Amino acid sequence: MASRAQGGARNRFSQDERRRDSDHVSFLKHKGFRWLWIALALCGVTIAGYLLIDQEPRPNGGSWYGYTLGTIGFALIIWLSLLGVRKRRITTGAWSLKAWTSAHVYLGLSLIVVGTLHTGFQIGWNVHTLAYVLMLLVIITGIYGVVVYATLPASLSANRKEMTRAQMLEALTAIDRQLESAAQPLGRAEADMVIAALEQDVFAGGALARLTGRYPRCATARALAGMSNGSEAAARVVALLEKRRDQLAQIRGQLRIRALLEIWLFVHVPLTIALIAALTAHVVSVFFYW
Amino acid sequence: MAFLIRTIDFTAAGRELIRDRVVEQDSLTIGRAAENDIHLPDLAVEQHHVRIVAQADGTLGVEALGTLGFGLDGRVVNQGVIDPRTGGEIALGAARLAVARESDGHTSITIRQVAAEEGKGDALRGFALASVLPSKRAMSWLFAGAILLALLMVPVASHLLRTPVKNDPEGKTPGQVVMDAAWSTGALSLKHHSLEDNCESCHVAAFESVADETCISCHKETGDHAAMPRLAKGMAPLSTGDALQWRIATSLGKEGPLGCVSCHSEHEGKVRQKPASEAFCADCHDALDTRLTDTALGNAHDFGKEHPQFRPAFYASFGAARPVRASLDSKPIERSGLKFPHDVHMDARGGAARMALSLPQYGAPLECKDCHSLDADRIGFKEVKMEDACEGCHSLVSGRSAGGGFSKLRHGDVKDLAEDLARVGTGPRADLSAGRSRPGQFARGGAYAADFGRPVRAYIGLSNALSPGGICTECHLPARGPTGQADLVPVNLPDRFLTTGFFSHEAHKREECTDCHAADTSKAATDLLIPDLKSCRDCHLGASAVKTKKIVPSECAMCHAYHLPSGQWSPQGNAPHYTPAPPPASKPGGAKTVVAAIAGKARK
Repeated sequence: MASRAQGGARNRFSQDERRRDSDHVSFLKHKGFRWLWIALALCGVTIAGYLLIDQEPRPNGGSWYGYTLGTIGFALIIWLSLLGVRKRRITTGAWSLKAWTSAHVYLGLSLIVVGTLHTGFQIGWNVHTLAYVLMLLVIITGIYGVVVYATLPASLSANRKEMTRAQMLEALTAIDRQLESAAQPLGRAEADMVIAALEQDVFAGGALARLTGRYPRCATARALAGMSNGSEAAARVVALLEKRRDQLAQIRGQLRIRALLEIWLFVHVPLTIALIAALTAHVVSVFFYW
Repeated sequence: MAFLIRTIDFTAAGRELIRDRVVEQDSLTIGRAAENDIHLPDLAVEQHHVRIVAQADGTLGVEALGTLGFGLDGRVVNQGVIDPRTGGEIALGAARLAVARESDGHTSITIRQVAAEEGKGDALRGFALASVLPSKRAMSWLFAGAILLALLMVPVASHLLRTPVKNDPEGKTPGQVVMDAAWSTGALSLKHHSLEDNCESCHVAAFESVADETCISCHKETGDHAAMPRLAKGMAPLSTGDALQWRIATSLGKEGPLGCVSCHSEHEGKVRQKPASEAFCADCHDALDTRLTDTALGNAHDFGKEHPQFRPAFYASFGAARPVRASLDSKPIERSGLKFPHDVHMDARGGAARMALSLPQYGAPLECKDCHSLDADRIGFKEVKMEDACEGCHSLVSGRSAGGGFSKLRHGDVKDLAEDLARVGTGPRADLSAGRSRPGQFARGGAYAADFGRPVRAYIGLSNALSPGGICTECHLPARGPTGQADLVPVNLPDRFLTTGFFSHEAHKREECTDCHAADTSKAATDLLIPDLKSCRDCHLGASAVKTKKIVPSECAMCHAYHLPSGQWSPQGNAPHYTPAPPPASKPGGAKTVVAAIAGKARK
C-alpha cells in the first residue's frame, strides 16, 4: 500500500515535473539547450567541410559542397517559415510548440553560417545576394525579437501598476468627464484647448510616435501649456489636465513597450515571405541559366 | 458640511431631468438599500456599498463598506481620498458619481448613468501596434509579388518569347531577355565582357547547361589538349562528392568534367581569366603512365621535383623532311647542313673579332645579338638571314656594276648563283682601240652587236664555288644533285626547338646568353645548344617552392599552354589564345584536331 502510494507520488512528481517543464522553462533553455547544441554541431560541421574540402577553382555556390549547403539552407528556411503554420495548430508531445520554437530560434541562427558559406563570400547586386540579405534581415529581426521577449515583458508589467488596459482607458474617460464639467467656467480660447484635448484619440500618433514615446502633437500637453493659472476653475482644469497627462503617459508607456515588442514581427514576417519569393527566383534562375 | 447631490436622468424621450437636493451631513452612504443617502437601484451595487466622509483637511475619504470595491478615477479600490478642488469620480455599477467643489463652497456629487460600453474590446485593439501599421499579410504579398514579378516572371517570359538569333563572336548584338542582369552571379571576364547584357548568347535554352557547342560557335580555332577519350582515360579519379555531382549533372544534360565550363568558370569578376594551377595539370600528369599506359609523355607534377628532360625538335639527318624530337640526355647531334663554329665567331681575340672591329657596322667583337634578334612576341628569335648576319664579312661581291657600285651574287638558290656567275665574265666589250668603233651593224646598238662571255670560265667558276674549298663551302656542305651536278646540302633549322613549351627570352634579358647556351665553347654547328632541365632548375622550381632572390616558384602555365595550338599565358600582352608558329607534326596527317572536330566525334 505504502509502496503503491510512493509509486503514485513519484508518478505524480514526474507528471508535475513534465508540466513544470512545459509551463515554466523558457523555450531557449528547452531540454537543456538541445537545439542550441544541434545548431552548433551543424555550424561546426559545415565550417569544417568548407575549410577541408578543396573547391576548384574557388569556393562557390555551384560546387557540389555549395549545392549541399544551399539545399540544407533552403530546407531550413522553408521549415523555419512553417512556424507560422505550426503555432496555429494546438498539439502536444515531442513536437510541442516550445520545442518547435526552440529549434526555430537556434536553427535559424545557424542559417547565418550555412547561408554565408553557401555564398562562397561572393556578393553582388543580384537576386542571389538579395535572397542572402533578406535572410540576414529576417535573422537579425528574429534575434531582436528573442531579446525583447526576454527583457521587455517585465517592464510592461511594471508600467501597468496593477491596472488592466481597460482600466487605463476607463480612468482616462473618468478624468475626461470631470474635465468636461470642470471646464464649464472657462473662456472660449481655453475651452477650445480643453475640447481639443478631449477630442484627441488616445491612440493618436503613428508607429514612430509609439516607438519613440514622443508625441509632439499631443493636445493635452498643448492645453496644459496654454492654460492660465488665474481662477480657481482654471486651477482645477490644470489639475485635471495634469492627471490626464499622467494617465496618457501610462497608456503611452504601455503602447511604447508593446510597439517595441511587436515591431520586429512587422519586418520578420513580410521579409520571410519576400525571402521565400527571392529564394524561389534564386533557385529557378540558377537552373534556368545553368 | 453640506453636499449638493445632483441626479441626472433621461426621460424616455431623451430629455434630461436634473434634480438637486442638499444634504447637511458630514458623511454620506451609498448603496442599493433605500435608507442610504444616495440610493442606486442597480443590482451590481451592494446594499450598503460606500461611505463618503468629510475630513478635517477638506478632502473626502471614500471607503467600501463591504468586501466589494468601487471604481475611483477608473481604478478599482477599497478606499481612497478625493480632493473636491480637483475632483474625482466614483464608479458604482452603471452609475458615475462625479465629486466637485461648487463655487458656493458646497461639495457637489453629480450622479449620471452611463450606457454599457459595447466597443470596449475594439478600443483595446488600439494597444496593438497593428492598429497603426499596414498588415503583415498585405506587406508580404506586396514584397513577394514585386520580387517574383520583376526578378522571375519578366526574365523567364522574355526568354521564352524571344526569337533566338545566331551568336555574334564580336559580342556587339544586344541581348533580348529583359531584367536578367539581376540573375548574373558576377561580372564576366575581360574577354567576355561585351556579352554582359546578352545572357542568352551562352545560356541558350532554359534549364540547359552552357554547352561546349555554344562556346565553339565563336572559339572555332581553339585546339583541344588531346583527343577526348584519351583525356577521359588520363584523368585522375574524381572525389566522391565531385563524382556524385557530375553523375547528377551529366544525367541532367550538363557537359562532363571535360566540358569547357568546368575549367573556364565565368562570372568571377571583370578580370583576365587566371591560368590553371599546377595542381590542375598535376591531377592528370602526375603518374599519367599508370592510367594512360601507352603515352609517350613523361610524368610531371612539379618542375623542381618531377619533370621530364626537354625534348627539343631538330633535324637529325641532312636534308630530312621533318625535324625529330629527342631528349637532351641522349646528346643529340643536329644536322642543319651548315658549318658554323660559334667559338670562332665569339672569340673576342680571334680573327672574326678583328674583322668586326674593322667594320663600321660592328666596330667591336661580335656579340650574339649581331646575328640573333628577338621575334615580335619576345619569345623566340627571327630567322638568321645570311644577307644581314653573315655578309658583312662573308662578302658575295662579284665585280663592279655599270653604275659604279658593286655587283653581288644572289644567295639562297644555286640556280640564281649560276646565273650570276655566268654574268661575271660578260659585260660591254672593250673597244678595240681608242676612238674607233666597230663598223656598221656591228657597232654598239647595231643589230649584230653582242656582248659575249666565256662559257667555260663561268662553268668553272660555279663548280669551284660549290666544291670543297669554294666560297660556298665556307659555310655550306657540298653535295651532288640528282644528275651529278655540284650542289649544296639544304639548310634545315626548326622554327622552334621547344615545341610544347614557351621560353620567353624577354623575361630572361638580364642573363647573359652564354649563361644558358654554351655557344662560346661550341666548335661545330652539330652541337644542339638548347639548355637542359638541370640548368633551368638553377632558378626555377615548382609552384610549391619558396620564393627567394634566386628561386622562382614556377607553375606549369609559366611555360605550357593547355589548348593546342595556343600561345603562352601572360599577365599582360597577348591574349592567351593567339596562335604561335605551328609545331611540327609527329606523323603526317596526325596533326592536332580542333575541339570542334573532336567534340563532334565524341557526340556521335
